[in-house]
Amino acid sequence: MSNKSMSNKSNLATKLSYFVAVFLVLFSIFALLAWRTLQQVRVQGPLYDEIMLGNELIADVLPPPQFIIEPYLLTLQLSEQSEPTEITRLIEKGNELRINYENGQEKWKRVLARDTMGDLMTVTSYRAAMEFFRLRDDEFIPAVRAGERDLAKRLLAQMGQRYEAHRYAIDEVWKLAAQRNLANEAKADALVSSKLSALAFLALAIIFLVIVMAWFARRAAATLSQRVELVSEVADRVAHGDLSTEVPSTTDNDETGRLLGAIGGMTQNLRSLVTRVKQASVELMSTATEFAATSRQQESTVQGFGASTNQIAAAVKQIAATSQELLATMEGLNAVSGQTADLAEQGQSGLSSLDSTMDRLAQTANAMSARLAAIREEAAEITGVVTTISKVADQTNLLSINAAIEAEKAGEQGLGFLVLAREIRRLADQTAVATLDIEQMVKQMQSAVSAGVMEIDRFAEEVRSGVGTVDRVGGQFGQIISQVRTLSERFDTVNHGMRSQAHGARQIGEAMGQLMDGARQTSVSLREFNGATESLRDAVTVLKQEIAKFNLGS
Amino acid sequence: MLALAFRAGNAALAIAARSIVEVLPRVALRTPTLAPPAVIGLLPYRGTLTPVVDLCILIAGRPAAAELGTRIIVVRIQNASESRMVGLQAEDVSELIEYGPTTPGLRNTEHAWLGDHLTQVAGLPQLVDPAELLPEALTALFLAKAEA
Repeated sequence: MSNKSMSNKSNLATKLSYFVAVFLVLFSIFALLAWRTLQQVRVQGPLYDEIMLGNELIADVLPPPQFIIEPYLLTLQLSEQSEPTEITRLIEKGNELRINYENGQEKWKRVLARDTMGDLMTVTSYRAAMEFFRLRDDEFIPAVRAGERDLAKRLLAQMGQRYEAHRYAIDEVWKLAAQRNLANEAKADALVSSKLSALAFLALAIIFLVIVMAWFARRAAATLSQRVELVSEVADRVAHGDLSTEVPSTTDNDETGRLLGAIGGMTQNLRSLVTRVKQASVELMSTATEFAATSRQQESTVQGFGASTNQIAAAVKQIAATSQELLATMEGLNAVSGQTADLAEQGQSGLSSLDSTMDRLAQTANAMSARLAAIREEAAEITGVVTTISKVADQTNLLSINAAIEAEKAGEQGLGFLVLAREIRRLADQTAVATLDIEQMVKQMQSAVSAGVMEIDRFAEEVRSGVGTVDRVGGQFGQIISQVRTLSERFDTVNHGMRSQAHGARQIGEAMGQLMDGARQTSVSLREFNGATESLRDAVTVLKQEIAKFNLGS
Repeated sequence: MLALAFRAGNAALAIAARSIVEVLPRVALRTPTLAPPAVIGLLPYRGTLTPVVDLCILIAGRPAAAELGTRIIVVRIQNASESRMVGLQAEDVSELIEYGPTTPGLRNTEHAWLGDHLTQVAGLPQLVDPAELLPEALTALFLAKAEA
């Protein structure tokens, strides 16, 4: 850009210089031509000399019409001539010359001033010439025609006197005209030389003026191009992002001054704009960072929430399992109560038949009670034995497993031992199963015996207290049955409650699962938000980089 | 080939007899301080303290039932440099299975330790490699403890 302005500047200056040079050349040609023309047309110049030479030649060759030498010579010839045809020709020629003379006199009378020379030419010489022509026409020519030679000779002498007088006047005129010409030539010479010098002075003045003008024009062009170069340099720097340039202010109110002012204002506005954008990008950056921090915090919170939900779900699962177990227990309890009710009904039905055989029963009840007590003791003993057996069976099972494992590790050598171990294990398993059965049976027996003992004891008591109470006992049995039934119903209610509790726990578990899904989704959304914040930060970083290209100076 | 069948929650599993050190009865253990929930105690065994992991907690999320069938299977785990015995508490540890070729079931990439099924017995127990059974965190913990 600066190169271009330089070339523009030089172009301007060169153009100006060319213009001045062309002007100078043209002016020089004009001056030369003027000088040469003057030189040519001036008195005693080449052209003038040539014209004068032509005039002189004509004057030398032709007989002068205003000098009557030729008519005089014709009269001399006439005086000698005797041939009539020749005489007529000479007379006619003389007439022609006279007309020429008179025409010339007419012209000179108009042209010449009434001074000495004019008088000599138009009065003195004319009077003598007219006298001569009168003598010739009126007296001489008739005499010649008549052939009177003597008279003609006398008239010729008279005419010679007139001719002499005319010649004298013409000579005077010639002298005066020559003198006057010389004076005029000198005057013209002086005039021309004076004009030439004036012209030269004028040319010099014009050249000086042109040079001064050129200098002023060059200075103005230099100032203009300097300003334009400055402006273009500032614009160039602004275009490259350097806004730190201070545009020099100028007091000039011309176009370039205003341009400088406008560029300065533009740069300042741009600078303030870029500064504001820079501040805004910094604020945007901090906002984006806050965004990212907040979302990260939220993400960790959501993760914590997810973990808590997980724990709650596990706890709910445990609750569900526990309630399931409780339900199973309740069902068992229900069955037992049903059995109790059945037993009570059996007791009630037996009560009516007991009425007659009460006494016998009362007797046998004691015996039975004693036997049942014995059975209970034995059952307790059996239970102890069974527990021991089952423990032993368990130990045996464990031993056989370890033995089998060792045998397996021993490979080929352990095969026989493996079979043995397997047999032992089978025995132990059978024992365990058997003990389990026994245990069950004993337990049932024990409960039955206990119940029987109690019933029998009470029954015996009742029997002993009298037949009258049998009905009441029967009623009590009925109450017991109904109570057991209501108990059974309550069990049903509890059972139902348990079931709904288990169901509720399962629903809570599902809800927890949904909650966890929600937390996971929230986490994903937060991660997406994080990504968006990252891209925002990236965008702000790019903006900052772009802004950083602008140099704002200090 | 012989494998020891057991249950952990609902999962019917089996470990090859060759990779078992010994099967021990269930004993009351003191819960170790600040240990992962699946580690239920340290068992003095053959002169060392062997960590015991409850597979029911690990797999089913609940402790094993307090029954005679609940036992501790002692296995050996190892990495490149260290090896250590670990007790695995499971339920119904009472049956040894003679098995032939195994059949692949579902391949769960998240739980690659669940191996092929044993089709010879009811319940189709899955064969488990004790070396891969435990999570890496527990393996690292046990082997780091052994180094210390």
